[in-house]
Amino acid sequence: MTDNSLDIRALHFSGIASRLRRLDASMLLWLALIAALAFLILNPVLRLIISSLQETDTGSFTLANYRTAYGNIRHLQSLLNSLELGVGVALLATCFAVPMAWAISRTDMPGKAFVRLMVFAAFVTPPYLGAIGWILLAGPNSGWLNKVWMALTGASHGIFNVYSMTGLILVISVTSFPYTFVFTSSALDLVSSEMEDAANILGARTLRTTLRITLPLVTPAIIGGIIISFLEAIALFGAPALIALPARFNVVSTQLWQFFEYPVRVEEAAAYSMPLLAITVLMFWIQRRILGRRGYTSVTGKGGERRMIALGPWRWVMLGYALLVCALSVFLPMLVLVQAAFAKAWGRGFSLDNLTLHNFYYLLFEQTQAKQTILNTFLYSAVTAFAAISLTLAIAYVVNRKLVPFSNVLAFLCMAPFVVPGIVLAIGFYAAYAPPPLALYGTATILILGFTTRFLPIAYTSSAAGLRSINPEMEEAVRILGGSRLLAIRKVLIPLLKKSLAGAWILVFIPATRELSSAIFLVGPNTRVISVMLFDLSEEGNFEVLAALGVILLVATVAIAGIGSKIIGRDFMLRRNS
Amino acid sequence: MFPIQRRDFIIGGSALLTLGAGRNALAQPAPSMTPHEKELFEAARKEGGELTWYTAQSDDITAQALGRSFEQLYPGIRVNVLRTTAQVAYQRVTQEIKASAIQCDVLSTTDIGHCVALKATGALEKYVPDNSGKVLDIYKNYDPDGYYFVNSAGMIGIGYNTSKVKEADAPKNWTDLLDPKWKDNIALGHPGFSGYVGTWTLTMRNQYGWDFFEKIAKNNPRIGRSINDTVTMLNAGECSIAGCGPVGTLLESVQKGNPLAMVYPTDGTVLIIAPSGIMKGCKHPAASRLFMEFLLSVGASQIWVDHFNETIRPEISPPKGAKSAKDLKTIRPTVEQITKGIPEVIKQWRETFGV
Repeated sequence: MTDNSLDIRALHFSGIASRLRRLDASMLLWLALIAALAFLILNPVLRLIISSLQETDTGSFTLANYRTAYGNIRHLQSLLNSLELGVGVALLATCFAVPMAWAISRTDMPGKAFVRLMVFAAFVTPPYLGAIGWILLAGPNSGWLNKVWMALTGASHGIFNVYSMTGLILVISVTSFPYTFVFTSSALDLVSSEMEDAANILGARTLRTTLRITLPLVTPAIIGGIIISFLEAIALFGAPALIALPARFNVVSTQLWQFFEYPVRVEEAAAYSMPLLAITVLMFWIQRRILGRRGYTSVTGKGGERRMIALGPWRWVMLGYALLVCALSVFLPMLVLVQAAFAKAWGRGFSLDNLTLHNFYYLLFEQTQAKQTILNTFLYSAVTAFAAISLTLAIAYVVNRKLVPFSNVLAFLCMAPFVVPGIVLAIGFYAAYAPPPLALYGTATILILGFTTRFLPIAYTSSAAGLRSINPEMEEAVRILGGSRLLAIRKVLIPLLKKSLAGAWILVFIPATRELSSAIFLVGPNTRVISVMLFDLSEEGNFEVLAALGVILLVATVAIAGIGSKIIGRDFMLRRNS
Repeated sequence: MFPIQRRDFIIGGSALLTLGAGRNALAQPAPSMTPHEKELFEAARKEGGELTWYTAQSDDITAQALGRSFEQLYPGIRVNVLRTTAQVAYQRVTQEIKASAIQCDVLSTTDIGHCVALKATGALEKYVPDNSGKVLDIYKNYDPDGYYFVNSAGMIGIGYNTSKVKEADAPKNWTDLLDPKWKDNIALGHPGFSGYVGTWTLTMRNQYGWDFFEKIAKNNPRIGRSINDTVTMLNAGECSIAGCGPVGTLLESVQKGNPLAMVYPTDGTVLIIAPSGIMKGCKHPAASRLFMEFLLSVGASQIWVDHFNETIRPEISPPKGAKSAKDLKTIRPTVEQITKGIPEVIKQWRETFGV
């Protein structure tokens, strides 16, 4: 333990050398964790930045990649389209999520449990599957909504066109609003009624109180939600590929895909993805600026009494709004997807002679890939969730208990993948680990590593939140009685954390099952996952089989999450901080 | 944490059990394997008994049927069938070459330019299948050096939805697609994805100049990715005309009861010849060779015909009710034109259509 190399390192921190000697074991741990994070995050991102400045063949320094990447008006247009998409989704998702979160958290709106369940369903639905549902609903000539409209009014044209920017914004919003919802509602759950009471006493009505007092108190949560939906929207690949292409516009992610066409131009792709990185860093900087100077400390977690606001007849209006959002995000798309999954030809509509189980039979018994793909998906997602939770738990512990100096660096690195869009991360991983010496291309390892990195922030947030809730006194008791730290962790901490870890596990597991943007560049023929297979199937418009596979994915995910919720005995997603 | 692990294991295990049933239902080995095939078959079993096939030559259903037929003929050898569009398959292959991790064993593309380029960079393995001499003359000798072989062919005409368009009103020739009455109603694929659409685009450019596409763009066509997308759009009623209608997929859809019909344009139906080759450095060389023999066999041609595509073997007659390439006026670009022209038309397409 006191070998030379450690002593040398200790010199760097000479002022605290004596303290370090006691912490040798922790120091090793710290180094191991730093190494893991460097491998997962720093190296791929740095590799990406470096290769954007390299010539393809010689590796010498050049700016040519930036010139080709931005020297085309269509490429610039794609950037603008992505911005429009991101802003649109962030705003629409906020409009969907915040009123619902407020109604559920603060008011006496009926049907809360059901609405929560539907938000969960929207969270489980992958955006590209939602997109397919909406193609079936709002295709300009053949979509169900348009058909109904034409039948009702006798019009010759439908009124909805999913193949448009508006369509794309709607489709992505309905699957990404749960993020904002979760952030906002868990913050609202912590605000006590005292401030609202004060406003009421001073004569403010419910609406004024809500807009001036309650919602401003949870601004950090709402802004967090806006940023996440913005980032989700600009980094998504599947839904834009399905909708933007027929609508005749590109966004950054579909444009990035073109750089991977023959001849593969990783360097140009790297150069082209730099604005995404810059934008995300900028967003987080703005967030700090907005929030930094003000105090939101009324959200203490120890709030006094919380009473539900009585809305009177307005509670039905709120319920109506919530159900509308549920209809857009769950009822309607699910209805048409399930219809397609059990249909011989979905265009023939709802009739008995159109019913078949053949799509499922085809997938499970005739298609050579589907079974393996389904198993891969759940296996990789499960392993990813374990890996991410174990790593972040260790880090959160070190950070929380301040076992080593500079522990905040670890926390920062854990959260860093937040600012790297999935598709960019995948390109970095591909550039760093696909070729020799590691030669991970086409292996399960590269996928799992990629997924783990991608979901590290979620895992860290959950692990850290879980740890914060536990008072170190209990471990200290073990140590005073002579037990080692490991014993304390094993016998005290883990048992206490079991439930919140299971919740965190599910929170990573679910997005991993639906991850497409990073998978698309990292899969090989034997490591395909459902999201990629859905994407391949969508190429030839085989909607029946595709819907069937989507239904399998959803049913299996919900089943696993359901069992998980049973075990932890609460609604893990919606009240994870309580 | 641990209960989940255990439960996961159980879930995974039971999923394996339920999903695993049905694979390897008792299959009969090929009745008459030639000594050469037998040799390859034994070697293929020794090297792991599987191969990975990237194919763009058909829809998923036909591709899976070919894979299953091979597995039945050569029990114990598994085929991983990966059906994508040609450019996506090619993209994955080049990505693998760049990462020096070849995953694909046999590549079946619809853009013969891919094989030309791969051969030129030394990425294909030379192998002359015994069956290569037995195909119809027009499909022989595309690569005299023996790196790739034409193993399937298909045609592109104009499709329409009979419940929306009367036979008399349907387009008769390619240039009829430019008629403003088809505004918002034409479905196309994308040459940046589909090899069939790439060859079709090139043929149209040869025939009528790029102006053809500037004009068709005014009709605001619905652009998908695969050429098979056009058939989906017709079936859905989203569009009434498939501007580039793949004959095989469309006629198969007619057989399922969908209200579609095919027009063979007077200027000529576009004929696509689609080659396959073995990747150099692939993991299953013997199985790949056996699979190349299979792709050029009578049995494979029978499956193609069952799915309304062309036969490449003289022993098999064309599908019932479908016209065969030899009875029709067909047009197609030369291999050199394809190799050089498809990257060009993809660029032009992006400028004209914006995607």
